[in-house]
Amino acid sequence: MVASIFRIKARPLVPGAGEGRILYVDALSFYGEVDPVRGKLVDGRYVKGRVLVIGRVRGSTVGSYTIYGLRFYGNAPSAIIVVGEADPIVVAGAVMAGIPLYDRAAGIDERAEGGFATFREDGLINVVLDDG
Amino acid sequence: MHLTREEERILNGEEGEAKELALRIIVKVGEALGAERLVDIKHAHVSGVSYGTIGDHGLHFLEELASKGARVAVPASVNPVGFDLDDPQLLEHVGVRLSGEFVSKQVRIVRALKSMGVRATLTCTPYYVDEVFDDVDLKPGDHVAWGESSAILYANTVLGLRTNREGGPLALMAAIAGKTYYWGLHLDENRVPVVGYRVPLENLDEAKAGVLGELIATRHNESHPPYVAARAMGELGIREFLAALGAAGSIAMVVLEGVTPEYKVLGESVEEWRVVSEEEINDRLEELAPTQLPEVVFIGCPHAAAEDLERLAELLSRMKGKPKSKIVVTLSRRVFEKTDKSVISKLREAGVLIVRDTCLIVSPFGRSDKVSVATNSYKAYFYLSKRGLPVGLAPLEELVYLAYGG
Repeated sequence: MVASIFRIKARPLVPGAGEGRILYVDALSFYGEVDPVRGKLVDGRYVKGRVLVIGRVRGSTVGSYTIYGLRFYGNAPSAIIVVGEADPIVVAGAVMAGIPLYDRAAGIDERAEGGFATFREDGLINVVLDDG
Repeated sequence: MHLTREEERILNGEEGEAKELALRIIVKVGEALGAERLVDIKHAHVSGVSYGTIGDHGLHFLEELASKGARVAVPASVNPVGFDLDDPQLLEHVGVRLSGEFVSKQVRIVRALKSMGVRATLTCTPYYVDEVFDDVDLKPGDHVAWGESSAILYANTVLGLRTNREGGPLALMAAIAGKTYYWGLHLDENRVPVVGYRVPLENLDEAKAGVLGELIATRHNESHPPYVAARAMGELGIREFLAALGAAGSIAMVVLEGVTPEYKVLGESVEEWRVVSEEEINDRLEELAPTQLPEVVFIGCPHAAAEDLERLAELLSRMKGKPKSKIVVTLSRRVFEKTDKSVISKLREAGVLIVRDTCLIVSPFGRSDKVSVATNSYKAYFYLSKRGLPVGLAPLEELVYLAYGG
């Protein structure tokens, strides 16, 4: 198995350091598409402990409470990374829940699904992919 | 972002943990958006308070905030909740069954907000609540932080207040901090229209006004507010037009000819005119028209004004017998109190269900039974049809005829 490594610089909005396996979604509305009680996306994938990478965020402003709910029910991801621009919903939710949040993370896409990410407070994100 | 010494002090926790958290959220959102500073607000309208949408985790967040001693720094009002607080099972008449848990947890949410000093208006039309204006002298140009899309549009368009589309917990955080991020519609340059819409229509009732809102919401892709030149819509028409715009899209302000303060000056910057034709509006309304005798006729989305109740009572007085549909009117407790008692009793005699503090959208109406609905509110059509219910749109007069079997 061959591994490839790449590194990007994202904007740290709620800085934190940590790591986790990447869970990638193209677009996400936290309210209606994430079940905070079970910690699952509508497609059944689990969020807990993952680095949740979202292409773009949308949806109802109640979504901030849903992000807080992920923490409340013990299902928080280790970080949220928005490839495009974070919106007020995800920023407010991440602050409320104390979940590290990064945006403007161009360079990560669906190929990173399942890869392993390490993130730093300054916004530096390392991704290791198994290319096997 | 540039922060004042006072703001730094709050962020250092010198005014308590709750205010620190509230301001931190506001600052972070502002930073993400690229705001250069914060702005003091005079009022906030808090949305996202229904137990049905925010759940146990939302309840926990609010109670914890309250227990940390959170207090609003400016007067604040609040959106509707899941039921009439004085009679939680009132909507049982239209098939809504609430568990004791739902009721008690919703009551706890209201209690937590009250303990922070939020005025329990429980309405999406805070602008019809006299006490809101007793609390604070709101004038055109004042900065506020409002949630609830229809109220936000009313604030910017009719009252000339300045607010972005807040929501979820953000308007509450702004109320506690007394500030919001200086961005978007708080800035003069973002309130100037570039594209205008002419609506050559003689008679624009509230159902057509709602359809007009949908058409503009789907066509207006510019970031500046649309300028709209339409015949007088009346208070009800304006409310339904703005609510439709807020439901069908993300617009937070319109410059409405003859209504918006400073519309004359603002209208001078329109560079491109588009026309919404009578035919387009009529065709769309025809698609949305009721096709059957509805089980429920719903009036009061956004919450009804006293004049709407008077008009409904007048229309009902012309009808003979009993309506075949259940007529439901939702409104704020304040408007209920100030409506002429004879109007209320006339409505009740005709079998109208008058419900305060909630509406059919915020309550879990139609979640278990497929109830057919007719309404004069495009916004209600938009959200209830998403719930899988058959919903028709028609103006009030037609709804009354419909309710009596056409």
